[in-house]
Amino acid sequence: MAVKAHHFVRLKLRLTANGLRGQSWRVVMFVLGALFGLFGAFTGYIIFCLPGLLEKQRAAEIVTPLGGALIVLSWLFVPLLLFGVDESLDPARFALLPLRRPTLIKGLLVASLVGLPALATFVATLGVVHAAARLGGPAAALTALAGVASGLLLCVAISRAVTSAFATALRSRRARDLATVLLAGTTALIGPLQIAALAGAQYADWGRFGVVADVVAWTPFGAPYSVGLDVAAGRAWAVPVKFVMVLATLGVLLWWWSATVEKAMLGAAGAGGARQRAASRRGAVAELVPRWLPANRFGALTAREVRYWWRETRRRASLITFFVIGVFLPVFVTLGSESSTTPTGMLIFVGALAAATLANQFGFEGSAYAANVVAGVPGRVELTSRVAGFTVYAGPALVAITLVVGGVTNRPQEIPALFGTLVAAFAVGLAIVLPVSVGAAYPLPDTVNPFAMSSGGGMAKGLLSIGALFGTALATAPLLLGSWLLGDAWLWLGLPIGVGYGAAAFAIGLRLTGPMLDRRMPELLATVSAAQ
Amino acid sequence: MTVPHQRTHPESALALHGLVKRFETKVAVAGIDLDVPAGSFFGLLGPNGAGKTTTLSMAVGLLRPDAGQARVLGYDVWADPIAAKARIGVLPDGVRLFDRLTGTELLAYHGLLRGMDAGDVDRRAAELMDVLELGTGNRTLVVDYSAGMKKKIGLACALLHAPRLLVLDEPFEAVDPVSAALIRDILHRYVAGGGTVVFSSHVMAVVERLCSHVAIMADGAIRVRGTLAEVRGDRSLEDVFVEVVGGRTATGSELAWL
Repeated sequence: MAVKAHHFVRLKLRLTANGLRGQSWRVVMFVLGALFGLFGAFTGYIIFCLPGLLEKQRAAEIVTPLGGALIVLSWLFVPLLLFGVDESLDPARFALLPLRRPTLIKGLLVASLVGLPALATFVATLGVVHAAARLGGPAAALTALAGVASGLLLCVAISRAVTSAFATALRSRRARDLATVLLAGTTALIGPLQIAALAGAQYADWGRFGVVADVVAWTPFGAPYSVGLDVAAGRAWAVPVKFVMVLATLGVLLWWWSATVEKAMLGAAGAGGARQRAASRRGAVAELVPRWLPANRFGALTAREVRYWWRETRRRASLITFFVIGVFLPVFVTLGSESSTTPTGMLIFVGALAAATLANQFGFEGSAYAANVVAGVPGRVELTSRVAGFTVYAGPALVAITLVVGGVTNRPQEIPALFGTLVAAFAVGLAIVLPVSVGAAYPLPDTVNPFAMSSGGGMAKGLLSIGALFGTALATAPLLLGSWLLGDAWLWLGLPIGVGYGAAAFAIGLRLTGPMLDRRMPELLATVSAAQ
Repeated sequence: MTVPHQRTHPESALALHGLVKRFETKVAVAGIDLDVPAGSFFGLLGPNGAGKTTTLSMAVGLLRPDAGQARVLGYDVWADPIAAKARIGVLPDGVRLFDRLTGTELLAYHGLLRGMDAGDVDRRAAELMDVLELGTGNRTLVVDYSAGMKKKIGLACALLHAPRLLVLDEPFEAVDPVSAALIRDILHRYVAGGGTVVFSSHVMAVVERLCSHVAIMADGAIRVRGTLAEVRGDRSLEDVFVEVVGGRTATGSELAWL
């Protein structure tokens, strides 16, 4: 019997259904995710069809390509940054089956179309069809529908191709530096868009905005969404050109994806190969615990964490991602906004984001955590050592971010206060994230793809991170208030107050979570080691 | 902890009373009572899915039982986990090691986690790496070890703090014959020195060669227990096992197409 795409779809649906079976919290996550998706879909639909309802051709020509490009770019970045890719259909699992590669790619592509994000995207972009119908009649609507469909394929293909390629790149230990640069470069693409959006919003200069939109409409990102409007405007000649461009992009992406999938399939069996390292003549303890850590339980736990943040691809990926966002985001926001206020709110976001990296810290190592359970490590030591291990990387990053932001805003005198805010946000974020990491841990699939999530896991990860960000923003509000009320005095008081506030919050979080971990150790182990 | 640190049944190294574990609707372990005498070499036998791993996990504090008690050298594992866990070494099955560390780093990690002195850890780790032929000064990450080497480094981690009770889940799985002989030697010496070993297996030959006591599990319950001689009688252990577990014997008519 020939394998067809619908087999992959059925497999995906079955895996999703089985993942939900008997796990009430996953059902809750799924429903929440569906509601979010529904909300996003309808908001998108309204934004896209509004210019059409108002019969404003020019407004539609600005909103549609920009909005469409934003959607395609979200498909590219959101999996990398926030949610991870649903790898319930991991290509490596098909390695032993007699499948031709085109069949496999087609199946995986179609299966990726079946899911909440694809559905929400499709519904949202149907607004474009609605607008085209109002502006240009049935011919425009049909063209727009074809455009929207090809746009959806482009979204899915770009997301799968890039994450697959990125995962392959990160897995090879030598290529990790290259991957860092690549990620930094692609993230930097957000910058120009943001500047354009902010500048446009501030001056409401439709002329300038329109130029950007017209250019974007001729890139593969905006083209699929603008074809319907081209028909409405009587530029039918543009339609075949744009479709050729989109289909060519799609072809390149699929080819790229299929090339990396091949590598991913082989990689699962023959990954890495033993790394030859110089033989050590040091004692075992000296080899594990660096000199600046005590040779005791805390030292061993921290040293292991420090090594794991670098040696495990999944952790390394989240570390690199955080660093790139942490440095680039505040810089772009500062450069993009014309007002010269320091981006304090953005720094709180960055601090919270650093802490949110630990939201599923026990999920990273899975069943290996059994070693700590058997040894009966006290909860407080476990948590402090994990935070210490992460801070070895996050600490210098936070210092660097403060210096960069202080330099970009050209206000070096504010650096101490900024650092105080950042430390406070990080520590408050940790206080919120620690109980989450113990109480709401979830298993990660056992693959080499650092972005892989089990079905439903992506939603959990995203919601937990967003929850942590919100909580931190709320809990650091007093500091923001202080910085406004105190004025210039804040420049000097910001650092001690921020550090003190953060330390107090962290102490409370640790005090609450330590005993919680002591009670829940076996349950936590069972949760994170559950086979997906 | 208000529970008195008193020791009961000092003669049994591991005592399980009425242990029950359900997973959703399936009963994995249905009320197990088991006494492992101190100084014995105890084999827990059973087919796949009999509940061996579940039982051993509950005995060492990795999985919370729905009902029942587990005592290690008299200390209740679930009421007084610190005292109980300090006295056992565990080699879990199907559980990952912290495999992004090198073998020596992993040993140092386990030693320090157990509160051992750094000098002792260094000495014992070097000796274990040498005796188990994992290579002194070998800086390969454990994730790149072969399956047999992973078992050996796991065993080394369990032995490092010289526990009085060793609980090993499938210690001979995926181990080559040479390494298996080495592990048998080490365990023999350990029992001769007064230690107690509890291990699960479904390799009859190994069990017959090593064990002083045996228990056979099936469907979450212990069917037969006693010294090896009592259980085996005048038959082979394999015959007893198949009879107790109720395996099917081939008639020759099935799989005729093969």
